[in-house]
Amino acid sequence: MNRILVLFCMTWIALLPSVGMAQIDGEFVKPRTGKFLLKNATVVTVTKGTLSNASVLLENGKIIGVGASLPSEGAEIIDCSGLFIYPGMIDGGTRLGLVEVSSVPETVDYSDVGNVTPNMQALTTVNPNSEAIGVTRVSGVTTVLTVPSGGLFPGTAALINLNGYTPDQMYGGFKAVAMTFPSSGRRGRFDRRSEEDIKEDGEKALKEANEIWDNAKSYLELKKSGAELSYFPEMEQLSKVLSGELPLLIEVNAASDILSAIQWVEGKNIKVIFTGVAEGWRVAEQIAKAKIPVVTGPVQDLPTRQSDRYDTPYANAGKLAKAGVKVALRTDEEENVRNLPFHAAFAAAYGLGKEEAWKAVTINPAEIFGVADQYGSVEVGKKANLIVSTGDPFETRSQILHVFIDGYRIPLSNRHIRLYQEFLERSPGLKAN
Amino acid sequence: MMIFGWVMQVSWAQSDPSGKRRVTSSFAITNATVIKSPGDIGSKATVLFKDGIITGIGAGLSIPKDAKVISGDSLFVYPAFIDGGSNIGISEPMDDESTKDFNSSNPPDELAGITPWRMATDFYSSASNEVDEWRKVGFAMSQVIPEGGMLPGKTALVSLGDPKNIAIIQANVAMAANFRGSRGMYPGTVAGVMAKFRDVYQNSILALEHEKLFASVAGVKRPQTTPTQLAMAPVVQKQLPILFTANSELEARRAISLQKELGFKLILTGLENYESVIDLIKSSGTSVMIKLQVPDDKAIKSQKEEGVTEATKAQYARVKEAYDQSLKQAANLEKAGVSFGFSTLDTKASNVHKALSTMIANGLSEKAALAALTTNPASVLGISRIAGTLEKGKLANLILTTEPLFKESSQIKHVIVDGYVFDYEVKKKSNSAPNSSATPENSENSVEGVWDYVSETPAGSSGGEITIKKENGVLGGSISYDDPAGSGKASAPIKNVTVTGKNLKFEFDVSAGGMSFTVTVSGEVNGKSMEGTLSLPQMGSFPFNATLSSPSQLN
Amino acid sequence: MKKLFYLLLAFFGLGCNFSQAQVQKGSVLIKNATVLTVTKGNLESADVLVQNGIITQIGKNITAPTGVQAIDATGKYLMPGIIDAHSHVALDVVNEASAPITSEVRMKDVVNPFEIGIYRALAGGVTVSHAMHGSANVVGGQNATLKHRWGAKDPADIIMQDAPRTIKFALGENPTRVHGRGNGIQPRSRMGVEAVIRNGFNEALQYKKAWETYAAAKNTKGNTLTPPAYNERLQTLADILDGKIIIHCHSYRADEIYMLINVAKDFNIKKLVFQHTNEGFKVAPEIAEYTMGASVFADWWAYKMEVYYSTAFNAAILQRNGAITSINSDSAELIRHLYHEAAKTQRYGGLTDDEALAMITINPAKQLGIEDKVGSIEVGKQADLVIFDSHPLSSYAVPQMTFVDGIKYFDVVADKDDQRQLVSATEMVEPIFLRANEEAHRCMQDVEIFLDAFDVAFLKEKH
Repeated sequence: MNRILVLFCMTWIALLPSVGMAQIDGEFVKPRTGKFLLKNATVVTVTKGTLSNASVLLENGKIIGVGASLPSEGAEIIDCSGLFIYPGMIDGGTRLGLVEVSSVPETVDYSDVGNVTPNMQALTTVNPNSEAIGVTRVSGVTTVLTVPSGGLFPGTAALINLNGYTPDQMYGGFKAVAMTFPSSGRRGRFDRRSEEDIKEDGEKALKEANEIWDNAKSYLELKKSGAELSYFPEMEQLSKVLSGELPLLIEVNAASDILSAIQWVEGKNIKVIFTGVAEGWRVAEQIAKAKIPVVTGPVQDLPTRQSDRYDTPYANAGKLAKAGVKVALRTDEEENVRNLPFHAAFAAAYGLGKEEAWKAVTINPAEIFGVADQYGSVEVGKKANLIVSTGDPFETRSQILHVFIDGYRIPLSNRHIRLYQEFLERSPGLKAN
Repeated sequence: MMIFGWVMQVSWAQSDPSGKRRVTSSFAITNATVIKSPGDIGSKATVLFKDGIITGIGAGLSIPKDAKVISGDSLFVYPAFIDGGSNIGISEPMDDESTKDFNSSNPPDELAGITPWRMATDFYSSASNEVDEWRKVGFAMSQVIPEGGMLPGKTALVSLGDPKNIAIIQANVAMAANFRGSRGMYPGTVAGVMAKFRDVYQNSILALEHEKLFASVAGVKRPQTTPTQLAMAPVVQKQLPILFTANSELEARRAISLQKELGFKLILTGLENYESVIDLIKSSGTSVMIKLQVPDDKAIKSQKEEGVTEATKAQYARVKEAYDQSLKQAANLEKAGVSFGFSTLDTKASNVHKALSTMIANGLSEKAALAALTTNPASVLGISRIAGTLEKGKLANLILTTEPLFKESSQIKHVIVDGYVFDYEVKKKSNSAPNSSATPENSENSVEGVWDYVSETPAGSSGGEITIKKENGVLGGSISYDDPAGSGKASAPIKNVTVTGKNLKFEFDVSAGGMSFTVTVSGEVNGKSMEGTLSLPQMGSFPFNATLSSPSQLN
Repeated sequence: MKKLFYLLLAFFGLGCNFSQAQVQKGSVLIKNATVLTVTKGNLESADVLVQNGIITQIGKNITAPTGVQAIDATGKYLMPGIIDAHSHVALDVVNEASAPITSEVRMKDVVNPFEIGIYRALAGGVTVSHAMHGSANVVGGQNATLKHRWGAKDPADIIMQDAPRTIKFALGENPTRVHGRGNGIQPRSRMGVEAVIRNGFNEALQYKKAWETYAAAKNTKGNTLTPPAYNERLQTLADILDGKIIIHCHSYRADEIYMLINVAKDFNIKKLVFQHTNEGFKVAPEIAEYTMGASVFADWWAYKMEVYYSTAFNAAILQRNGAITSINSDSAELIRHLYHEAAKTQRYGGLTDDEALAMITINPAKQLGIEDKVGSIEVGKQADLVIFDSHPLSSYAVPQMTFVDGIKYFDVVADKDDQRQLVSATEMVEPIFLRANEEAHRCMQDVEIFLDAFDVAFLKEKH
């Protein structure tokens, strides 16, 4: 039996109260909070270096101590000798919780009808019980930005912690309005538009975006002047971007579009985050100069052009960082957000370096999203989002042994794991009847 | 230039109130430079043809009395072109309606683009504009391919001649084939097409076996040969070649691999990119008709020199390299020793001259180019006996050009198809001299120098040089012209040269056949060009244009 | 020596068919690498000698024969070329989606050696891929096993000519959607899928018999029997029944996997591999007992209903139950890091290094019937090799060089960036393809026409 299974079993036996109800067998392990002392680990704080033989004390959802000798009174002690503690990872762009089975339209909720729907709230539709959430968090990804997509202003993204029974319990304190910047790229193999048509479509879309922007500007100005405006939820939400209340997440990927987006943003005096930025490496200097932070990914992706070197998507984050851009990573995934550490590893191996790669999935997204006081490192006072692993969590051979989200100790189980437990040694095995 | 004396003939028993019927089917092109076949350097000769057949070529041939003479002076005569594969004049078959029990996984052949029984002749119209367009650029014959799916039908060889004539030369030349699937049914893709092709082929063989057995043994069940199998019989018996349209290297390979597998006779047509299959074409002995087209140079021309990154420059270089390589393909085909023809499928007639001159500029020999337009397709199509070169007894399909065929400025003045003469307008040359320094103030001086002229006469255009100079205060000089006797240029002094304002007028004497005429030329001079008329007594006036090619430096 | 070898080849006609004559073979000595043989353990600081495309010696202190280049791989890892048992790279057509059975269709007819995906796969250490027909049909076309000889212009030069025939089958949502729901013909249900397969095999038996009867009668005196219609579709199915073709069956749910095992038993079919097999873990003992195993994704799930009840521990469960298990890509993107996909079996189920590496080398080789030629570093095998800078199961591993038949086709340092073989002479601006990941999944390419608009909108080009 392998290590991980042993660990599951140990956890189960320890927690198993005797249950004697008919039709129900065994016990469900729930997330639970309390005071925990994670003892004698190597603590990778990300922001304050790596501490050997250090402990981390958690209480009331917060990290209340990081150091060599911490008081253990009242705390459940978890021996972490030989283990590593990292901050929980943050995925800067996903559709987690917004979709259950992507080919079944009834379960797809990240996109609504209309081109300008900034009032659509991702947080509303997050399904706290999505199977994908349980599958994701055991990988060490504890927090994600979940983003609507589709039209020009598809909706408002929300930062969520991967624990909780209601969206509000999950909410991580950051929202932003998403924008799909008019694109000069092809949407896929079936996009057979001529070069002229693509250009024309792009210009038309930008013109429309400007008109809508002007509309929102008028809305804000009139509102500020105390005018009684008729109900217009789209403009209401968009005006929050103009007023600086909400940042704008601009999805932009082709190099020329990135340059237009930089130009478009100029003088608007709004908070902007670029997302995607697949061809960012081509214009890294300009992005750095514009001081716009970037959430890039997926890292494991194909080059955008046939002529591009095979590893351009792997190397993109590294090149952006080298140019001075603040970079966070994303998977842009729904069910496989769990691969974030591996995307980070590829970025690390192809130029970003391990240390920067760690920042790109912890403190950088926290800073970009303005929640660095709560997230992104193992520091006293921050939210107790952290993981304990047997080694570098970016390596597939490492096992994540404990996950804490919001101070809750998360049971290391989900449907994938339960199926493993049931079917590894199926009974009956091979026999008819 | 002097020959306007067309022979009046006794009228036929039938009248033609339109007045358009030609009066004779006998013609003589006199004193032209005749290039009989690819590689021929050309020599002055007279070409005689009657009833659509060349009846004689050579110097010093006597001109039959019934022959209408076309002055070939200064013109070049070539065999007319043969198009190895086109859809000139072809209309699409009507869409078939789906049958009631249509099953997309097993549609009837007709819906699935398998219509080998169809014949291009049924869809060809000689009155189509395309016929005139292509004839105008020199084509007298074309193998026309029916429209349709993977096996659209049989090609035909047609004459791009007078619409009143029967165009079909040969009805079943080849079986056309495409790698084109049928939308929404089997076979839908090139993968399906290849599988279905094998199926059709093998079952056509079996159908023949069945028929053979039925014919010789009693008690054999009646054969139920399908129209497809029936039509494919000559293909599987290797009597009728397959004409596969293959644009790319991969398509060419696919066609050749089917050929190797099944053994049919194969001709490839419409080849656009074939650099990497040249060796295979050569080793497999496949006949090919390459697309008479060169790639658009828009992308090359739009490449900027400045303000672009190194990466963009590298990309440009790749496109340029691809472009250059594409232009050299024909030359490389020649170098490999492959005889090829041209196909005009999906090309424009107006681009032909450019395509040819570009291929030649990139290494294709003029000989090979002409062969690809004439003898090679004739050979592949099995019509070398009647077409491809200028020889006595062959079809009177020829073209007359103002200059050697592949010269940039060369223009086609006549195309003769089946002995019918089609005249085309020849644009005047605008070879204005460099450093124009004409002084219009002194109009008299401005006419001095050497002029090139062209005169349009019913027999065609003719030209030469005029030298005007002032001697002892009097304007005089000489003119050269195509000798009516048919031996190159003759020359005569000009007289009575007068300049009145912008008008220049002069005369000269010409003798022909023991007679002497005085020719009058008059026209308006503007800078270095002159537009006017050339008049012959009792014959009328004809357009005359001249350009001062080297103004006199004496003043 | 070399000349003699060729003479011998020619004399005995050993594999010297038309297309192989073109294939380049190389000689090279790779020195001081950590050699991960996969089948025979790991060798520290060992040398591997390749001569004329074949591994001829493995050991220490081998000296390079004259004319053979030596590559110093000190501190680096050498493993067998990665084999992808499920790919659609280098195919011009993926689905002939027009009929529920299209066994006559051959992917070898539509191989495109110019596709950049081949080079990108090489850059991920993949030397052999199984270019499969798509999953639109219950019985799809015959697949092509490719060797990634990048730069070849003739498709025949990248087809592994000595690999056995394989064919694509597909169960579940895709064929029922395309044919039943899209086109109103069977199958519309998993019952129908079984019926289509059984009908096909039974017809094939009749077909075979008809030809046997005809062949026997043909030359007898006074024969009145005429040849039956030629039908490559049925002939191919008959070839499957005769054990000449390996079935590679797209499948997800346990019930349908079990169904095909039963069909295979009924028709005495032994050569059967399951592809994707997301619920293979539920019938792992049956797969292990009756089939050539399963080729699975490392972690794909939930993109459609039939993969919702999946587990990333699938490969580990199959492996532990004794099924031959491989990890495949089915994607132009994933094929570039199969070493990493295989490594996920260590996260999800704790497989050993050798077990994990076997899933992208010797195991897929077994499933493709080429395990005697490739899939491990052994003397006598074809020299398909990859050098990594660190252990290939590390997430930080970067492939350095990839060899096929001893010829180096990828070099992380020496290769130029722009690897396109075909460049359009008329292209003003190179197209930019965003969301390229969607491009990568081509299992359902070429089927749009057969689906209604609603389905197309949700066809995310995943399987």
